Amino acid sequence: MTSRLKINIHDLAEKLYTNGCEAILFFDTNNVILAMNSAAERLFDEQTLQKLRVGIPHSFCLACKGYTSEEELMTCLNCNLKKVTNEATTFQVFLQTRDRGVTPFIASYQMIDSSADVRALQLFDLTSQLTTQEVHHRNTMMKRTIEAQEDERKRISRELHDSVAQELLSSLVDLRVLKYMNVEGEVLTKIQQMEGSLSRLLDNIRNLAVELRPSSLDDLGLEAAFRTHFKWIEKNYGISVRFFSHIQGVRFSSEIETVAYRICQEALLNAIKYADVDEIEVHLKENNRMLDLYVIDRGVGFDVDACESKGTGLGIYGMRERAELAGGKLSISSEAGAGTTVHVQIPIGTRATKKR
Amino acid sequence: MDLYEHDYEATVHAVRDQYGFDFVSLAFVQSAADDFVLTWQFAAGNLTNRYKKVILRSGKGIAGIVFKTGKPVLVTKLSKEMEQNLLLNYPIVAYERLRSLGALPLYKGDHVCGVLMAGYRTENTMTKEKFEHFHQSFAGQFGAFTIKEMEL
Repeated sequence: MTSRLKINIHDLAEKLYTNGCEAILFFDTNNVILAMNSAAERLFDEQTLQKLRVGIPHSFCLACKGYTSEEELMTCLNCNLKKVTNEATTFQVFLQTRDRGVTPFIASYQMIDSSADVRALQLFDLTSQLTTQEVHHRNTMMKRTIEAQEDERKRISRELHDSVAQELLSSLVDLRVLKYMNVEGEVLTKIQQMEGSLSRLLDNIRNLAVELRPSSLDDLGLEAAFRTHFKWIEKNYGISVRFFSHIQGVRFSSEIETVAYRICQEALLNAIKYADVDEIEVHLKENNRMLDLYVIDRGVGFDVDACESKGTGLGIYGMRERAELAGGKLSISSEAGAGTTVHVQIPIGTRATKKR
Repeated sequence: MDLYEHDYEATVHAVRDQYGFDFVSLAFVQSAADDFVLTWQFAAGNLTNRYKKVILRSGKGIAGIVFKTGKPVLVTKLSKEMEQNLLLNYPIVAYERLRSLGALPLYKGDHVCGVLMAGYRTENTMTKEKFEHFHQSFAGQFGAFTIKEMEL
């Protein structure tokens, strides 16, 4: 303990000043620099440094791009350095740096000697903190967007299915009744034509509703929704999907079923687009309170680590995002010539219920 | 329909050999009970058999568009004219990697009952002149169907 007391506080403060990585600057009343440490010197370009060293008042403004107020990101209005208060202030400020362009800093500005009117300004680099914050913010926004999109799709799909299609169906029934009511010749032919086009319209609306969001996913569960979707794929893309389900009609929470359905949809579309196969396998299992979904193709495969993508590059990002939204994990393994496996694992908690 | 009076399988191969196309295919419209959907039933020079399983509705795909409009379709440069969402909208074109193509409506009376498509896997190979020549060479007749005189 005694040896610790012997440590000279001036010595330590000096070391912090000379060796520390945050910039420290001292100003007098006129905002003329009295001194700055080497960390501060590394920050500014030559021209600014020279003016700072010569002691031109307000030369700090050459490097300063403004601080962040409630109203603006960068402003000089009510500059903190020009205020004459004895209180310490902390604020975010943007500086033109020598080699990193305009960089955000946390600045702490305080009076350290009121008799001589000397103030100290300390600057801490904020770049990495702000990047982290931005990533968090983006993730939250992404999740909200996905949720909002899913809700909206569900609403429109229901509306189409329950009211538009219903109304259309009742007109179609009326028209069929009309056919048997003493009409013949041209009128009958016209009615038959109308019946044909109305029933095609009804089909189109139903397809649209299913494509937006299959009501079978909400009403009957994953297996039924998958089977319908796989039939649709075969009709539209000519590719068969072999489905192996081991969940025996178990229902999960709507969130989990949606995530599994959307990821499967995306993975299948990727396989259809890039794998060049005639058949794709989908496996669905429940294991240790986890729902496992595998989408397997034995197609051309690709280099998982390669940065460039054939498509928009958003598909895999979106799948991963959705998996994480439900606390799950997405892994993709692929080998050139051997095919690709997309595996999603989603925790199902205790919410799974047995249907019938 | 008396489709099978003619050997269309042999016909598509003969057409491909005669003109040197990379790919020739023939779609028929299904009966009213099947909602008039279209399927490609015969092909020559195909890379995959996926074309057999695809079911096109009126207005969808090359065959669907030809069926709906009753007019021929000519694509000389795919990358310029229909690259977007190719797989979703024109699955066969994507699977067979066609880059220029032409499709003719096959009539029975006033109705389009089939579609004949011919294409190349290189751009600018199916030109307007070549397609016109192809169109004229049938002299209005293809199997049990008629090919109408029309502006390409």
